[in-house]
Amino acid sequence: MSNKDDGHHHHLREQESYYAARTKALESLFREKNLIGQDTVDRVIGFFETEMGPFNGAKVVAKAWVDPDFKARLLEDCNAAIAELGIRDGIEGENLMAVEATKSVHHIVTCTLCSCWPWPLLGLPPYWFKDPAFRARIVREPREVLQEFDVKLDPSTKIEIWDSSAQVRFFVVPVRPEGTEGWSEEKLADLISTEAMQGLGLVHAN
Amino acid sequence: MKLQQYLGGLENVGPVSTEKRVFVEEWEKQLFGVHMCMMGTGIWAWPHLRVKAEGMNPLDYFKYRYYIKWLGGMCAFLIERNYINEEELDELTDYYLENPDAPLPEKGNPKVTQAVVDYMYTGDDPYRDVANNPVFKIGQRVRVLDPPSAVHTRLIGYLRNQVGVIDEVYPKAVLYSDSVPTDSISVPQPIYRVKFMTREIWPERPDTSDSLFSEVFESYLEAA
Repeated sequence: MSNKDDGHHHHLREQESYYAARTKALESLFREKNLIGQDTVDRVIGFFETEMGPFNGAKVVAKAWVDPDFKARLLEDCNAAIAELGIRDGIEGENLMAVEATKSVHHIVTCTLCSCWPWPLLGLPPYWFKDPAFRARIVREPREVLQEFDVKLDPSTKIEIWDSSAQVRFFVVPVRPEGTEGWSEEKLADLISTEAMQGLGLVHAN
Repeated sequence: MKLQQYLGGLENVGPVSTEKRVFVEEWEKQLFGVHMCMMGTGIWAWPHLRVKAEGMNPLDYFKYRYYIKWLGGMCAFLIERNYINEEELDELTDYYLENPDAPLPEKGNPKVTQAVVDYMYTGDDPYRDVANNPVFKIGQRVRVLDPPSAVHTRLIGYLRNQVGVIDEVYPKAVLYSDSVPTDSISVPQPIYRVKFMTREIWPERPDTSDSLFSEVFESYLEAA
């Protein structure tokens, strides 16, 4: 072990090649010990590419924009409403709650203790959401952080922040952009970013 | 005091990341796959990972990227619990460093994959079928307690000693975890959504009517 502590090895242990090798070693040991299947990692990654991802959230938002009754059900019971669209819930989304942004109230979701995120609707959290600086600042200086995301709010807009700390995972229905009257749900869904569904982006029609 | 339990509100930390990718290196996907396998087969759960994150040197917590921290936490946990031993992990790491294209062993348990997928579609049930007799009511003012530092907490640091209003009383009792050391959330209890005004938490900030909602376990609250 002592040779691992010299300067060369210490430097090496902070390189991507080391992390890659150690991760590979970890899966290798899991396979040797029958703790994992040969296709488990690929299946998990594929799951978040095709089954749980931000395409689900965008579909839900677009439906809510065109169907006020659906939107009311979504805000009342998010899990039941997404099931109507054939979207399955599950891990990190057992208890979802949708909040609706308006021109006067902007919602922002964060998790200052860790990285709680509504997986069934948005897939896995992007790096910005997990960043300690983001989590430190977003609750105290949300307008400054929004500017770093190129989001400019009217100064009169009130902000409501949702800091996840228990069982509920929050999801934002952003404001529908002007100039999209009559658009199909598919076309609307294409406008909606992951960031907009956690309050770090707005939706624009262009 | 553990900085990671008091992250919200910390000043002078510089610009935020606006990186929109979920994974920035290929190995992170593989690591996440192994993590999901550990969750889906009951080797560990979120609280175990959070204990590791909160137990980190806070300077390292800021220094290292998210999945680099996961890698350290996962390996440490698996070694502590004797799922693997450090020597074999180090030896294999050296082997793959020298032979990065060497294949993984063609072994494993084919039943694990479906179990993990089933788990991802099921998740965890935090509710416990015990009497839920909430002490507080919607609209009531409550003060967040300031209990001593714990190995692991779900009490948000900046909310300690703050006064808010009960916005929602959740209908069922929640057990956070009884498999890791916590302050007071290892027994099933009511949970509330509490509304706070951010100008009361950070009075030095420009005055706004912004508010902040969070869920608070009953054992973290008293009547105000």
